[in-house]
Amino acid sequence: MKLALKLAYKNLIRAGLKTWLNALALSFAFVLIIFYNGMIDGWNNEARQDAIAWEYGTGHLRNAAYDPMDPFTIQDGHGVLPEQYREHLTPILVWQGTLYPHGRMMPVLIKGIEPGQTTVKIPSGVLKNSTAGYPVLLGRKMAESAGLKEGDQVLLRWRDRNGTFDAVEVTVAGIFETNVPFVDGGQVWIALNTLRKMTGLTDEATFFIADENYTPTPVDGWTFVDQKMLLKPVTNLINAKKYGAAFMYLLLLAIGLLVIFDTQAFSIFRRQKEIGTHIAMGMTRGEVIRMFTVEGAMYSIFAIILGGIYGAPLFIYLAKNGISFPVSGDTMGIIIAPTIYSIYSTALIVKTFLLLVISATLVSLLATRKIAGMNPVEALKGKAL
Amino acid sequence: MNKKIIEIEDLVKRYPMGEAEFTALKRINLTFEKGEFAGFVGPSGSGKTTILNIIGSLDTPTEGRVSVEGEDVSHLSEKASARLRKEHIGFIFQSFNLLPVYTVFENVELSLLLLKQSAAARKKAVTQALEWVGLQDMARKKPPQLSGGESQRVAIARAIVKRPNIVLADEPTANLDAENAHIIMRTMQRLNEELKTTFIFATHDEKVMQYLKRKIHLLDGYVDKDEILESNTVES
Repeated sequence: MKLALKLAYKNLIRAGLKTWLNALALSFAFVLIIFYNGMIDGWNNEARQDAIAWEYGTGHLRNAAYDPMDPFTIQDGHGVLPEQYREHLTPILVWQGTLYPHGRMMPVLIKGIEPGQTTVKIPSGVLKNSTAGYPVLLGRKMAESAGLKEGDQVLLRWRDRNGTFDAVEVTVAGIFETNVPFVDGGQVWIALNTLRKMTGLTDEATFFIADENYTPTPVDGWTFVDQKMLLKPVTNLINAKKYGAAFMYLLLLAIGLLVIFDTQAFSIFRRQKEIGTHIAMGMTRGEVIRMFTVEGAMYSIFAIILGGIYGAPLFIYLAKNGISFPVSGDTMGIIIAPTIYSIYSTALIVKTFLLLVISATLVSLLATRKIAGMNPVEALKGKAL
Repeated sequence: MNKKIIEIEDLVKRYPMGEAEFTALKRINLTFEKGEFAGFVGPSGSGKTTILNIIGSLDTPTEGRVSVEGEDVSHLSEKASARLRKEHIGFIFQSFNLLPVYTVFENVELSLLLLKQSAAARKKAVTQALEWVGLQDMARKKPPQLSGGESQRVAIARAIVKRPNIVLADEPTANLDAENAHIIMRTMQRLNEELKTTFIFATHDEKVMQYLKRKIHLLDGYVDKDEILESNTVES
């Protein structure tokens, strides 16, 4: 093996520009795989952090009748959690209503939140400090779609627990910026006690957001959904994006590998005399195959070195300064920060390295199989193929 | 009497030619002793290269037995025949077959790399081999920078650097002018005398024939004549 490595290295280095052009083609795949996966990992990390910070905390303790995916459960999915279980929990009451901005009708979810809470990043303190009669908080996307700005008053209508319609002029006390569309679009945040009074749901909540000190305890009529479970849709979405992107970079990898296959197949045709000479000098066909296969595999090593030379500065820059997206993620309904900071983990680099080396070795082996059936006498004349 | 290094008994070689078969060698019986400077001579198609390839275990007999260094080449595994070539046989080809990306030194060194010799031993042996062929100053050059004569001398150095018992040379002067052909033959003649290496040629070149001490005339796959010419020496 040592001899094969030595000869293969010499053959490639001495081939000069041809070697580096092949390596360059393969290096694009290497850099793109790391770039894309690094970006997805960065997005994944930020999306998870944002979802935890704005919406999930360390988990949700839900009323057993409430299913956030089923709006029909809102009507009955609430209740009173016994006092002894409320430690390290922030209550949220969810109710349906209708907003009438500029004469239009917008169905909304009214969410009651404690103005003093610090478990999630919803700036609920604004509700406490406002002097308006019915102060509400809106996310930027919601404010834009309703055409509302801070200080605007707008009619909000709802049914109380008995089904009786009621309405009030609410004042937009604050508009917050978030990357998490699930706390923004179609939602109106209001002080919890105000909503409880509006609906007659005294001391009730739909779910509770747990902080980091919360220890899950079974409570009758309530279900704890941990952070991992809550993040599953985010993880699934990102994985789906990852697999979709894999198609693109595997295509690029295939092109790079095709270049190696072509080069090796052509090389064997062109270097038949050399192969014959090696056999005449005492190499077995297997040893010649090994040398040519190592040559092919070595292209991937050179590609990694080359990719490292131009890719590393790019990766360092992207990890430090991030990559900005012109279109905000909230318009797509996914959690995406305006700037994504790529994460290049050791595992990602090692996995990509192995993918490249193994695939290049296999492709090269495929191309060099012909040597196994080569007649050395014909090879010496250059007529074996 | 010298030790028998090659024994050929009833050697037959046939090649398929479409539906039929072509018989390249027909019942050849020969022996070679250590230190011979012999050659197969004859017109094209007489079987010279075929018999050389069989002795070199690059090809196998259809019938008969060929023993090289006591090993029957017709029954050797690929690994064993590779070992035989690696340890005991050097080849010189008509078109030199030097590896173009390697330097002269590296081309000659290759045989020793296959024998897994140490770097110091390799350097010593390659330097000596290049001195034998008078190319010590060209060690760093690459084959495309060499003339035909120089390239063939590198090929000779490559063949003898491992001190093989047998060197097989297939039309070694075919691509050379008269002057270079004589230089090459005199070099091999000297190595034969100094190292006692057995040289076997396949040639139809008169310039080569005049150096041979034994001429085996092949005609249509038969040994037509086996001449011992011990006095056949050409003065420089």
